[in-house]
Amino acid sequence: MITAERKPLSEIKEMIAPYRKVLVVGCGSCVAECAAGGEKEVGLLASALRMDARTEGRDLEIKEMTLDRQCVYEFIDQLTEFIDQYDVVLSLGCGAGVQAVAEVFPRAIIVPALNTTFVGETKEAGLWVENCRGCGDCKLGFFAAVCPITGCAKGLFNGPCGGSQDGKCEVDPDTPCAWQLIITRLEESGRMNLLDKVYPPADWSKQQGRGPRKIVREDQKI
Amino acid sequence: MKEESRLKNVLQGGHFAVTAECGPPKGADPKAIQKKGKMLKAFVDSVNVTDNQTGVVRLSSLAACALLLKDGLDPVLQMVTRDRNRIALQSDILGASALGIRNILCLSGDHQSFGNQPQAKGVFDIDSMQLIQLVRQMRDKGVILGGERLTEPPHLFVGAVENPFADPFSYRVLRLEKKVAAGAEFIQTQCVYNIVRFKEWMEQAGDCGIPEKVYILGGVTPLKSTRMAEYMSKQVAGMDVPDEIIKRMKSVPADKQREEGIRIAVETIQALKGMKGIHGVHIMAIEWEDVVPQLVEEAGLAPRPTV
Amino acid sequence: MDQKSAGLKITIFFCQRIDADQDAHRRPLEKELGSQIRFFPLPCSGRIEPLHLLRALESGADKVYVVTCAEGACRYREGNIRAKKRLAYAQGLIEEIGLAKDHLELIHVLAGTTTTIAQLAEELLAREAFVGPLPVDAPGQERQQRQL
Repeated sequence: MITAERKPLSEIKEMIAPYRKVLVVGCGSCVAECAAGGEKEVGLLASALRMDARTEGRDLEIKEMTLDRQCVYEFIDQLTEFIDQYDVVLSLGCGAGVQAVAEVFPRAIIVPALNTTFVGETKEAGLWVENCRGCGDCKLGFFAAVCPITGCAKGLFNGPCGGSQDGKCEVDPDTPCAWQLIITRLEESGRMNLLDKVYPPADWSKQQGRGPRKIVREDQKI
Repeated sequence: MKEESRLKNVLQGGHFAVTAECGPPKGADPKAIQKKGKMLKAFVDSVNVTDNQTGVVRLSSLAACALLLKDGLDPVLQMVTRDRNRIALQSDILGASALGIRNILCLSGDHQSFGNQPQAKGVFDIDSMQLIQLVRQMRDKGVILGGERLTEPPHLFVGAVENPFADPFSYRVLRLEKKVAAGAEFIQTQCVYNIVRFKEWMEQAGDCGIPEKVYILGGVTPLKSTRMAEYMSKQVAGMDVPDEIIKRMKSVPADKQREEGIRIAVETIQALKGMKGIHGVHIMAIEWEDVVPQLVEEAGLAPRPTV
Repeated sequence: MDQKSAGLKITIFFCQRIDADQDAHRRPLEKELGSQIRFFPLPCSGRIEPLHLLRALESGADKVYVVTCAEGACRYREGNIRAKKRLAYAQGLIEEIGLAKDHLELIHVLAGTTTTIAQLAEELLAREAFVGPLPVDAPGQERQQRQL
């Protein structure tokens, strides 16, 4: 899932300050799962903004909408009938959602309410942890399903470094050392031979591409 | 033609090597590094120059090495993978060799979050293991990553570090073995305070035949005070300062603690000298380089051999 | 001045486990005070959401209480602890728009008390009015329209 966090209200206020009619658009997918941009959060933010405007004696009109997915045209299309009636769209989608909406409505003004942070998992209620950097060249099969690029603060393919202590990373004592995890799991499953070789440098072109990366699937096209 | 690495000659000549670490200044003045070089020259075989250690911006290792070289020292260029991508690293490897630098120590580097630029982007395009392999490939095969040929290969004696005190302990020797397989020719270890544990690690390394394949220099850092000992023990991950050492430091009054620290360091050097498979010591006197001559003399390692 | 005399509008979200006959107990007070008091019984205080609290303020409440059973006494183990955290989150949010966090308050009913919800409400109404009316210039209509 893609995780995000709400921006400070002051930053959001500054972005929408010039406008009176605001369409607040959430997304029911990833950012709803991480409690940042779903229907509830849209309601909360809208409520706070309304009260804030009234406190300051400003006139603010808000419409709340939450799309099932803010990054797919078929869902974004639901905004078509309203978008012209509003001065600005305050998106609670991830960066992909914000940009997708802007692309569908090139004349509309779209601003983000969230800081998109990482691809991760819901570890427990209220805790999300990054575990994928989308490097485009997954090596989890060699590393006991622990990603060294994401999990190791130095992204070492041939770790651990000298800062691994008591299973923790020296950079943050609350973070497990990814390499300790890799070694423990490989030991337990009798696959330590996977660490015999020196893993070569990563091919970062698969992550950085030449500008934005694309996936093209002819079989999926209509 | 090309000057050889003095460190390599000392080690190959069967001498017990002495290297010292030297931190470049936080400024552009060359005198600071030249002063340290002059002071160390007669007492050590080679001088390691740190590469923005702990992520703190300092005069570049490459430039400091060039300054030391001019003054007749044999510098060891420390190179971390934290700050530069493979293009910059390979370029600096060639540059170092062209300047006449003959030793390189490959490290990943302290994480940028510890230094004075915590908002920097940590590069880590490649890791220390890959850097070792890369320098060897450039030197021995004359090719860079991707296979393109060099007009002239770099001439460098290739070193790596290992921390016997970090976890997982059982993997530490395997990792050392991997570094040797990657092409490390000498190893400088993390500073040793726990001789017992270090010996255990060396025995494991001996069982794997590692000391026959690589020169191992044990790390020594003299303690300045009880506070420093406690800090190293508690705050620095992968550092093992046993309670006895802390107690020993505590047992003397504050104004005698430096002397006690020196005594402990001398004893450590002597213990390392007597240890099978150890080929030298690497003295890392943090912001206290002027103690090195005394340590070397008291440990009976002066004068240094002519090679 | 106490909150009742100050005319503060009070909304009380409460765990209905604290008063088995809450429905009957609160009726007279609701009749007496009309829109000055509103009760929202919850099966467990852990069901409270920050959104409820904001909507309560937005629809006219000056002071919103979340009444939970005693810590450690929650039938669903941690409901009241959850209520505490959610209230804290909502407090942070209203502080961000410049409102005093005291417009939202958590009340733990002590273990073993037999107080009815009406007695508790009276007690809360009798408290000193530390926060004034919400400085939200209510465009009346919308304030009333917004139902929870």
